Amino acid sequence: MKFHVQQALRAFMLLSFSAMIANLHWTGELTKFINPKYEGLSKTAAILFFILFLVQVTRIISFSKVPHSCDQTGQACCSHHDHGHTAFTRKKMIAYLIIMTPIMTGFFVPAKILDASIADKKGGAFILTQQNQSSKIEDYLTSNETIDENIYDEHEADPRLTEEKQEMTKKQYEQLKQQLSQQSMLKMTDEDYTIYYEEINQNLANYLGKKIQLKGFVLKEENFTEKQLVISRFLITHCVADASIVGFLTEFSDAPTLTEDTWIEVVGTISQTTYEGASLPVIHIDDWVTIEQPESPYLYPINIRMSF
Amino acid sequence: MERLHFSKYVLNFWLLFILFLGMLQLLLFNVSALNDLSSSLLNLNTIFLSILIEALPFVLIGILIAGFIQIFITEEHIQRWIPRNPVMAVIMSCLVGALFPACECGIVPIVRRLIVKGVPIHAAIGFMLTGPLINPVVILSTYMAFGNDLRIASLRMLVGFVIAIVVALLISLFFKGSQFKSSLQPYSLTIPSQQTSFFTKLLNMVKHAIDEFFDMGKYLIIGAFLAAFVQTYISTKTLVAIGEGEPSSILVMMGLAFILSLCSEADAFIGASFSAIFSTPSILAFLIFGPMIDLKNTIMLMSVFRLKFVFWFIALVATVVYISIWILSAYLF
Repeated sequence: MKFHVQQALRAFMLLSFSAMIANLHWTGELTKFINPKYEGLSKTAAILFFILFLVQVTRIISFSKVPHSCDQTGQACCSHHDHGHTAFTRKKMIAYLIIMTPIMTGFFVPAKILDASIADKKGGAFILTQQNQSSKIEDYLTSNETIDENIYDEHEADPRLTEEKQEMTKKQYEQLKQQLSQQSMLKMTDEDYTIYYEEINQNLANYLGKKIQLKGFVLKEENFTEKQLVISRFLITHCVADASIVGFLTEFSDAPTLTEDTWIEVVGTISQTTYEGASLPVIHIDDWVTIEQPESPYLYPINIRMSF
Repeated sequence: MERLHFSKYVLNFWLLFILFLGMLQLLLFNVSALNDLSSSLLNLNTIFLSILIEALPFVLIGILIAGFIQIFITEEHIQRWIPRNPVMAVIMSCLVGALFPACECGIVPIVRRLIVKGVPIHAAIGFMLTGPLINPVVILSTYMAFGNDLRIASLRMLVGFVIAIVVALLISLFFKGSQFKSSLQPYSLTIPSQQTSFFTKLLNMVKHAIDEFFDMGKYLIIGAFLAAFVQTYISTKTLVAIGEGEPSSILVMMGLAFILSLCSEADAFIGASFSAIFSTPSILAFLIFGPMIDLKNTIMLMSVFRLKFVFWFIALVATVVYISIWILSAYLF
C-alpha cells in the first residue's frame, strides 16, 4: 500500500474548487461576478469538480507495487502527460501555487463592486456619446423554454416585469415599450432600466420634457464642466469582465459637491444636448438624494425570447 | 536540499501575498495613500475571478471531451474519418468545428487530444478556429447586439469561416507533425481497448480529464490574470486614440479583441458598443479575431505547442484576418 502525496494534493484542490464555487453561491457573492442567469452553469462546474474529486480520491492510495498501473487496468498511458507520479519539483510547486491562488482569493478576498475607475478604463462617458446608434442591451435566449424562473423573484419590482421574469417575446417587449412611452413619469427600476434606456436613446424626441426618476453612481470625466456628471450603471452580459457602462448625462448646480462612486437617486426632466459632437439625452435635475449602494448594483440585459 | 529551501521560500511568499490580499479591505478604510492601489487590486481580483468562474464550466466540459477522445477514440477511427487530401481535411474539420459548440478556452485541450490521436495539424487548427466562432449562441448574440441586424452576424460567420479555411491551408503548407513542445512529444498507444469494461473506461476518462485539468489549469489561470490586469490598468481610451483611419482602426480593434479576452458569446455586445467610434470593418475584425485568438488562449496554446509555432500561428491568423477585412472594406461597406 502506498500513499501518494501529490494525488492527495490534487484531490484537495479539486474539492476546494468545488467548495469555493459552492461557497460563492451560498453567500450570494456570485452575483458580484456573473449574471445570475448563468448561475446554473457555475453550479454545473461545482458539481463536475466534485465528481472529479471523487474519482481523484481513488488514486490517493494504491495497493499495487507498480507505480503506474496502466498495464493491468488497461488504462491508456501516455508519457506526454503529467499524471502526478513524478517527483515533486520546484516547477510543480509553482504550478500548484498558481492553481491554488484563485481558490484562496475566492475564499478570503471579498468581491468588489466595480467602480468609476473601471468605468474609466472601459471608455467612460465617451461610450455614452454613441449609444443611440443601435440597441445592444437586449439579450437573447436560444430556446423557447424558460430557464431562469426564480432568479428575479427576490427583488420586488414593476409587476409587469416580475410576471415576465425578465424574459419575454419580441412582441411583448415591443408592447411594453409602447406602454412605457405613454407614461408621463418614467420611474426606472433595475428590471426595466434597459428598456427605458434603449427607448430614450433611440427615440429621444418622444421623451423630451418628460419626468424621469433613476438611480446610479456618479461618474465624472476630465472634460466635463463642473456641473456635469453621469449617473451610471454597469450592464453585465456574462460576467463583470464584459461589463459595459450605461447611464445618463446630467447637469445641475450641486454636481461639484458629489464625488465619484457616490450613489444617488434623482428626479429630473429629459432634455437634449450635444457632447463631443454627438447629440445625446441629458437630465436636468429637480431633486436628488444620496443613497446607499444597492444590494444588486448591476443591471442585466432582458431576455428577449426569439421565436423562429 | 537547496530546492526544498527554495520551495519553502516560494510558499511563504505566496502565503504572505494571499494574506496581503485578504487585508486589502481593511487598508481601504485606514490608509488613504494605499487606497487607490488596494482598491485597484481588489478590482483586479474580482475581474480575474469572474473570468475564471465564467470559463471553468466550459473548460471542464472541454477536458471531459478530451478525456473521452483519449479513451474511446482510437487512431484507426481518426484515420478512417479524416480525408487524406489536406484541402478536404481542412474543409471537413472547419465544418465540424462550425457544428461543434465550443468556447475558446475549452477547445485547446480537445485540440491537443485530437492531435495526439493522429489528427493532422492543419485539420486540428481548422477545427480550433471555427469551433468558438461559429455556433448558434454566437450567431444569436451577434444578431441581437447589432440591433437585430443579420448583416454583421452573417458576415462574421461567413468571413470567419473562409479565414479559418485559409489559415488552416497555410498551416498545412508550412507545418508538419504535431508541433508540440518537446516535453509533450506524443507516442503511439498500444493498449488493446477491448478487454476493459465500459465502467473502467469511463473512470479512466475522468482520470485523464483530471490530469488534463492540472496541465491546462495553470495556463488558464495565468491567462485570466493577464486579461484582468489589462482590464484594470489599461484604458481602452488610449487604444481608441491610436485608431484613426481604416487601416489602423482595424489593427486597434484586433488588438482590443486580443487583450480583452472576452468569451465569444459575450463579445458582440462589447463590439457593438464601439460601433460609432470605429468603422464596421474594424468591428468585424474584432468579432472574428477575438474568438480565434486572444491573450487567455495564447497562454493555453503555449502550454501545448512549440513557442515558435504559436508565434507563427498568431502572426498568420492576424495577417489573414487583417488582409481579408481590409480587402472586404473596399468592396462591402
